[in-house]
Amino acid sequence: MILGLGVARAEDHQLTPMRDYLDDRPIKLHRERTGSEATTVRPLILALVLCGLAGLLIFLDLQGMLGPTRGIVQQGLAPVAQQLTAVRDGFTAALSTPLSADALETRIAELERENTQLHDELLRREQAAVENVFLRQQLNITRSQPWLLLGAEVTLRHPDAGRRTFTIARGANDGVDVGMAVIGQLPGSPAALVGIVERVGPRTADILMITDIGSQISARVLRNNESALGMVHGQWQLGSRLQLEQVERTAGVTVGNTVVTAGLTAALNLPLDLQAVPPNVPIGTIESVQASGQQLIAELRPFVDPDQVRYVWVILNQDD
Amino acid sequence: MVALALTQVTLLQLPLGFPIPLVLIAVVCRMLIGMSSAFPDSGVSIALRWALYGGLTLDLLATTPLGSHAFALLLTALLIALATRRLSAERIFIPLLATLCGALIYEITLALLTMPQPIDWPAYAQVVLLPMMLIALIPTLPIFFLLRWALRRQI
Repeated sequence: MILGLGVARAEDHQLTPMRDYLDDRPIKLHRERTGSEATTVRPLILALVLCGLAGLLIFLDLQGMLGPTRGIVQQGLAPVAQQLTAVRDGFTAALSTPLSADALETRIAELERENTQLHDELLRREQAAVENVFLRQQLNITRSQPWLLLGAEVTLRHPDAGRRTFTIARGANDGVDVGMAVIGQLPGSPAALVGIVERVGPRTADILMITDIGSQISARVLRNNESALGMVHGQWQLGSRLQLEQVERTAGVTVGNTVVTAGLTAALNLPLDLQAVPPNVPIGTIESVQASGQQLIAELRPFVDPDQVRYVWVILNQDD
Repeated sequence: MVALALTQVTLLQLPLGFPIPLVLIAVVCRMLIGMSSAFPDSGVSIALRWALYGGLTLDLLATTPLGSHAFALLLTALLIALATRRLSAERIFIPLLATLCGALIYEITLALLTMPQPIDWPAYAQVVLLPMMLIALIPTLPIFFLLRWALRRQI
């Protein structure tokens, strides 16, 4: 019995190096693949089932049955998205710092003033300072225009180039409604239309940019104390920005004329999505004009590029 | 996939208005890696799930009807799987070609689902399709090799 145990231990000692060797070196099993064994029909069935599920979701969403659930999930994602967008904007701002001497001096002066103000404040006050800038812009706009404004940060851009929309951090709880005009302002430009509220959630709203091909707004061309009516269409997906159409050929529209919203749907109080767009919201200026039959077609340069705005204002109503 | 979709929508927005379709590229690369793995059925199933989760997240972050991105991604993944089932992803041009075709299928499907009809296809191709396809090519190889390295124990 003792002898047998000794032999077994001796065998263990001989096997140990071999086991260590095998443990240290993973065994690789090479599998030759042929075309016939690539895949079976199972993934195909799964793909078709998932496509069907996606189709069903599209149908249910278009029927408005997923609205509340979607809203809840979007509210959960919104804070994270807002933080990430703020990181991206900070990075973009750092890259787009002006390089010319004058612009740099101006920028340095602004930064010095800001630095003086913020020197002894805590980090959370920086956010308040940024909001202050936007509120001052808002105040300037409301002084010159009869609009009741609601400021909102742009939180999300649409993930595809095929559709020009963005999401703002204000929703139905703040009084935002479908069809309201959304304006923005960039340095050196007037406050101008950037989009229309397309969909509203409790705390967020989706804005259709005026440059999207689906955007159509009644407009008025201002020239020499006269005006001509037309329709402004988005043209981004067609390689342009904005196009003014349906203007009478005799209207005498020329390059450089200013185009503003006509607010016709608001005036007629029609039950349409665009009924909340007030008149006289600046849109852009005419860059080129060409005749087409009895009508004129003009290319417009928007006052504010909707792709560039980070903070916008929703026109809640017009204070007549 | 939720993090990837969030990154695509927030951090990767480009000034010219063309976001990098990170989710699409990840799905296409995962599909190619899955197809060339020892157990392609499992790999393809995982890629399809990526397409569903990523697509739904994009829909939640976008203004499109829920399911439209998911449908476009699933269709893209399915067609890529069918087209590349007899090819080896080891060849460097296969991921590039798959992404190119995938971006085309994805953008056309999305346009059909979300754009107002009728669509001016020549203009849409020039302004949206071609730039998006070319932009999608840029990060394809790094993402493909990164994914293959990360999934090396599964393939």
